[in-house]
Amino acid sequence: MITAPKSDFMPDFVTPESAAAKPRLTFTPAASAATAVLPGALRLQLQRITSWLRGALPGMTMTVFSLGLFIAFWYLATKYRWDIYVRFTNIPSPGDVLTNAAKLIHSDKFYNNMGMSLRRILIGFGIATVLGVTFGLLIGQYRLARGLLLPVFEVLRPIPAIAWVPMAIMLWPTNETSIVFITFLGSFFPILLNTIHGVHSVDPVLVRAARCLGTNELALLRQVILPASLPHIFTGLTIGMGVAWVSLIAAEMISGQFGIGYFTWEAYSLIQYADIAIGMIVIGMLGLACSGGIRLMGNIFMPWLTSQSNRGHK
Amino acid sequence: MIPLANKEFTKGHIVVDHLRVSFGRNSSAVEAVSDVSIEVKPGEFVSIIGPSGCGKSTLLNVVAGFVQPVAGTATVDGKTTDKPGADRGMVFQQYSLFPWLTVRKNVEFGLKQQGMERSHREEAARTLLGLAGLLAFENHYPEQLSGGMKQRVGIVRALATSPQVLLMDEPFGALDAQTRVVMQQILTNMWQRFRISVLFITHDIDESIFLSDRVYVMTARPGLIKAEIPIPLPRPRTPEMATIPEYLAIKHKLRNLITEESLKAMGGELKDGGLGGFSIEVGPEGVSELV
Repeated sequence: MITAPKSDFMPDFVTPESAAAKPRLTFTPAASAATAVLPGALRLQLQRITSWLRGALPGMTMTVFSLGLFIAFWYLATKYRWDIYVRFTNIPSPGDVLTNAAKLIHSDKFYNNMGMSLRRILIGFGIATVLGVTFGLLIGQYRLARGLLLPVFEVLRPIPAIAWVPMAIMLWPTNETSIVFITFLGSFFPILLNTIHGVHSVDPVLVRAARCLGTNELALLRQVILPASLPHIFTGLTIGMGVAWVSLIAAEMISGQFGIGYFTWEAYSLIQYADIAIGMIVIGMLGLACSGGIRLMGNIFMPWLTSQSNRGHK
Repeated sequence: MIPLANKEFTKGHIVVDHLRVSFGRNSSAVEAVSDVSIEVKPGEFVSIIGPSGCGKSTLLNVVAGFVQPVAGTATVDGKTTDKPGADRGMVFQQYSLFPWLTVRKNVEFGLKQQGMERSHREEAARTLLGLAGLLAFENHYPEQLSGGMKQRVGIVRALATSPQVLLMDEPFGALDAQTRVVMQQILTNMWQRFRISVLFITHDIDESIFLSDRVYVMTARPGLIKAEIPIPLPRPRTPEMATIPEYLAIKHKLRNLITEESLKAMGGELKDGGLGGFSIEVGPEGVSELV
């Protein structure tokens, strides 16, 4: 049975989904004919699975079909070495990529490169988060901080992180720190700006309520402004993580010695074309994992938002 | 532990003396409150009623410590209310619960600011929530509650720090009529239990009569106290009282006072709008729906 998450204070609460789902479950001719002899509980279980499949299958089929189409195109284009202004003459085929990937899975060097990039992201993005949120809260809340800090940030903000590469190499003692610095720069500004925006959109009545409850300045910042801005801060983190990867890969390609960006660029230099595709795929997957991590953190840090949607109240 | 129960009637004395508040500067300054003097005795329930824009919320905000007067004083137990503090609990018209905290954590918030340790404030919050019939929802987030429940939690949260006075700015204005009647009953019960002074802002005549010991009627532009009406109805009061002659007499008096003010305010607006010479020819009874 699908039961609505019933609450005590809204006793007649029935979700529209549960009301709509019931007839579909009961009057499925194929399912009920095949399962008529089964005991009740098992039959319900089966009906649930079939109805889930019916709902999910078109979506899954389309996904598989869509990806299959892309790989088929890739296969054909590389097999027949299409040269129609776009040139597939040197592009590795899906098969080449698979073969090389099977080899790289056992290569420590490859894992080192991955680990190196992840480490740079974590350090750079971590520092950007701490500084971006801190400065964002101060600039958003205090006119003095805004007057002192914001002009500098506004001047530096339009400069893309990549443009900092030569300067960063001079600025920092090692290549490693300059790459982390570039990664930091890329994610710092989206986090900063979204935090400021978050502070500005805090409902003033919450601040007034807090002051009436005897909240001092520091407690107000930590216990009211910060949590109230969290949704915007997480928007900043999501954008910041994307920009961090863009900046990191570019920095690694330009001045790196290790890292997945460096691996991809080196593969080009060494004419190991299949490795280029592998590098790209891995970069995509790492980026996806990182933004998934942010979303997970968001759910952990903002439980009031998830519980709201789960219970379906409003 | 119920920190407030059985408190003596010695604290919570609000005195507002020749208060004047204006917004803006010099020539463009608008006087919101001009020369208002009111008093709320310890343990008393006093309402201020008046048309919208008459400065009654401004007056409350001065007592809360959010607005500074240009002249006159506002004190609670002799202390000038120059900044907000936990000695004056406040309930707002808008829902003001912290959405990221559960119901219980919301109630604990003020106690946490006082440095009370976790187990003690948890216990205090649970006791208070129990009194308000909200214990079952202690772990809910505000978004999961109905409007009436949110305001009930708001009242409990304001009471948790044992304030001397409770300032309420049209707290039931956003609720439907049925819920409002229930909330008035609950508020009366809590007020009697906690023996606390209440300054209550409303534009609802029945609400002010049902709740108050005394009602101040405020005029619009300039914001002045026009009348002070005692409500000698016995307690406990019930919704059925709304039909007895004494109640009706008070209601009639209040309605006449307020209708006059609303008409004055509207007449002014109409003239401003370029309808010179146009006058409204309706008796007070005819436009009673307006207030």
